[in-house]
Amino acid sequence: MDFFERFAVPHPSFLIYASMVGIGLTMIAIVIGITYFKKWGYLWSEWLTTVDHKRIGIMYLLSALLMLFRGGVDAIMMRSQLALPDNTLLDSQHYNEIFTTHGVVMILFMAMPFIMFFFNFIVPLQIGARDVAFPRLNAISFWLFFMGMGLFNLSFIIGGSPDAGWTSYFPLAGNEFSSSVGTNYYMIAIQIAGIGTLLTGINFMTTILKMRAPGMTLMKMPMFTWSAFIANVIIVFAFPVLTVALAMGTMDRLFGTNFFTTVNGGMDMLWANLFWVWGHPEVYILILPAFGLYSEIISTFAKRNLYGYKSMVASMVLISLLSFFVWAHHFFTMGQGALTNSIFSITTMAIAVPTGVKIFNWLFTLWKGKIEFTTPMLYSMLFIPLFTLGGVTGVMLAMSAADYQYHNTMFLVAHFHNVIIPGVVYAMLAGLTYYWPKLFGFMLNEKLGKWTAWVLSIGFVLAFIPMYITGLDGQARRMYTYSESTGFGLLNMVSFVGAAIMAVGFVLLVYNIYYSTRYASRDISNDPWDARSLEWATHTPVPEYNFAITPQVNTTQPFWDSKKNGHQLFKGKIEKIHMPNNSGLPFIMGCFFFVFGFAMVFSMWPLVIIGLIGILACLAYRSFEKDHGRYISVEEIEETETKLRGAKQ
Amino acid sequence: MKVDNSLPLEYSTEENSLKILGFWIFLGAEIMLFATLFASYFTLVNRTGNGPTGAEIFEITPVLIETILLLTSSFTIGLGIHAMRIGNKKATMAFFFITLLLGAGFLGFEIFEFVHYVHVGATLQTSAFTAILLTTLGTHGLHVTFGFFWGLFILLQIKKRGLTRETANKSFIFSLYWHFLDVVWIFIFSFIYLKGMM
Amino acid sequence: MKELFPLKQVMGFVFSLILTAVALLVYFTDMSFSVGMTVLLLTAFIQAGLQLVVFMHAGETNDKKSIYTNIYYGLLIALITIFGTLLTLIWDM
Repeated sequence: MDFFERFAVPHPSFLIYASMVGIGLTMIAIVIGITYFKKWGYLWSEWLTTVDHKRIGIMYLLSALLMLFRGGVDAIMMRSQLALPDNTLLDSQHYNEIFTTHGVVMILFMAMPFIMFFFNFIVPLQIGARDVAFPRLNAISFWLFFMGMGLFNLSFIIGGSPDAGWTSYFPLAGNEFSSSVGTNYYMIAIQIAGIGTLLTGINFMTTILKMRAPGMTLMKMPMFTWSAFIANVIIVFAFPVLTVALAMGTMDRLFGTNFFTTVNGGMDMLWANLFWVWGHPEVYILILPAFGLYSEIISTFAKRNLYGYKSMVASMVLISLLSFFVWAHHFFTMGQGALTNSIFSITTMAIAVPTGVKIFNWLFTLWKGKIEFTTPMLYSMLFIPLFTLGGVTGVMLAMSAADYQYHNTMFLVAHFHNVIIPGVVYAMLAGLTYYWPKLFGFMLNEKLGKWTAWVLSIGFVLAFIPMYITGLDGQARRMYTYSESTGFGLLNMVSFVGAAIMAVGFVLLVYNIYYSTRYASRDISNDPWDARSLEWATHTPVPEYNFAITPQVNTTQPFWDSKKNGHQLFKGKIEKIHMPNNSGLPFIMGCFFFVFGFAMVFSMWPLVIIGLIGILACLAYRSFEKDHGRYISVEEIEETETKLRGAKQ
Repeated sequence: MKVDNSLPLEYSTEENSLKILGFWIFLGAEIMLFATLFASYFTLVNRTGNGPTGAEIFEITPVLIETILLLTSSFTIGLGIHAMRIGNKKATMAFFFITLLLGAGFLGFEIFEFVHYVHVGATLQTSAFTAILLTTLGTHGLHVTFGFFWGLFILLQIKKRGLTRETANKSFIFSLYWHFLDVVWIFIFSFIYLKGMM
Repeated sequence: MKELFPLKQVMGFVFSLILTAVALLVYFTDMSFSVGMTVLLLTAFIQAGLQLVVFMHAGETNDKKSIYTNIYYGLLIALITIFGTLLTLIWDM
């Protein structure tokens, strides 16, 4: 094949060329900008080499926001195409690419880094630790995620996007039906990001098990930390399944093996099976931290201790286990017998029980609380009814006999957006608004924030409720068009209007960030919401060592107790603090992974070997490296503390 | 850095015991990795297409030799850790050396076995069964290969730096990895080879 | 020299060799499938437990509970995955 032909996009359109030019110009502008302001050194020493959990968290946040808009543009294009019957805005191939990338980007490169941001930024602060257990590994996790994300998005302009759906079912995803390199990108980019996620899981499990402040027993952990712990447990046990499935898919595509083909004994159903053995726990990885955030927010703004702490924990532990028992409900119609479908039906319905327990606990927390309607609280209040609606339609889908009617229709699409948007996306926006002052030292505008929440919710209802109806009427998902005689036209137009209103909501969010950055008061306390847990007990901005003195914990809400019940958080005097050194190795290793991945996508074997040697050389270097970290002296800590205290009081 | 001298050297600092627990959690993930491979293997074991079945290509002799080599290496690395705990640097290094030698022997036989499979027409592309067989064995073999170099690096570090808190910690974690690979091999030996030849 | 070979570990090694030999009976004698599988399951899991306790020192620190919970949890999910997959794709297909 000709050199350039190989990297060309197989189905180009004006939009793709325009985006290529746009991306190219943006890159050049960024490089020129950094060079002009002489920021390369700053970028390298403060960000690319950092091992600080707070900075890594912020990098996750930026990636997530970037991907939110990329996935959002995909969504708007899909809804525009379906707004009218027999529309010709997009052709079928382009539509296939867009729903594939929308799914992958939103789940793996938007929602995942968003929760990673919360894990990274909040968990060590909430448990009173100086950093995570393995700061260097944490940086590696981030860079693997980042390179996977970069590689996946590169498919858009080099070689063509994947087009077999975010589930990438075989044999459609096999070489026979997906001949472009798009699906290679899918397999390899997700593999690289997935390894990063697995390492995060190990890191945070260890951190939460071993690095809690004195007095904080497991049953005194804040609810977000509990949810993070459970989510990371699921990560550790679910992601290896994805690793294997992707490796097998990659071998099918690149080395001609017959795992998922339809010849020589291959079994395409095995892919669907393995994909969902990972895929179902994955949705709980996303939703549990969201539940954790809601728990924090609701108890802060109801001014009450969280109701039913023990049942909250028990229901999460149960969910983590049950999440591995339900995967076959994603393919009830694949042909397995009634026995299997019945078993998985029952386990699926059972999972609604612990989820219901959590909903009631939040309601009881609100009961008799002094409710304060801030933006994060507004999101939480919108979440409860909307999410419950999504949960109920989930139980409908769990009935395997009825599922033959719903399967692969817009009803399903409506259901999972109905749980993911009010469940995960609202939690991310609520959490972002709630933690914004701790991150950046000023608050987001409340009025704009509430407008955003309402606009998003109105848009959400208009966009997704009609899909339940068209789905029950038989509109299939992933169809790029439909004829006028189906009668789906009106409701799809309503969906489009809803999607457009949601887009306005996200623009409002951006405007809020811009507006608040310019005009918001910097004169806020370390605890602007009058909150209850330890992350609010330190300064804003958070010093790199988090707490000058390790806090003492007595209950589930030590900071509240220190404010109201005379609990003494910080006892003893300042001692020198041991901190890890920055390192360029994670970034460099990430770059080698990128080279390796890119070369794999295009089967450029010499380059694959170079990438692989680079990765192994980084590991070997690390094995022999002597790095004992450094100490921050008492004088330096005292100086920082005085400065931060002075600035804020 | 707080040092607790009442504990064995490899646990003596906070960081050291974090690493050991972290590695155990990693092994939990590895259990799932191999479980997925086993699930796929059992699903595809009878889907041989036009290729051979397991009973037709498995040979007991190399498999048995591989098993004995790996079992023995698991024993010697255990002795290595014991020697490390009583502070005998020389014995530690000797046991590490024997372990790596046995590991290399295992790999040699596995390569021989793979060449045999290719010769009898059981390549990666032949059928779903041969693909999952070679992938499962290969994944274990890659782990052993990785472990071989990792162990070698640690051996060099013990030689150069002695039994310090760091090298002791690394050696202990390496021993966990090596024992784990032995456990995985037991399952491969039982449920791939013996079940296949039964 | 003797101190380098603690009895516990030597016994563990001998025992693991015995277990291997027992497993080999499946190959060398003529057993029914179910008896053979029972033998293999027993020998494999005992062998794994042996490695865990004797060689891997799983229970020697304060993290004992975390370590065992982690391993048992992993094993449970591993078995669910294997048997669930077989149920879905083979036994009930």
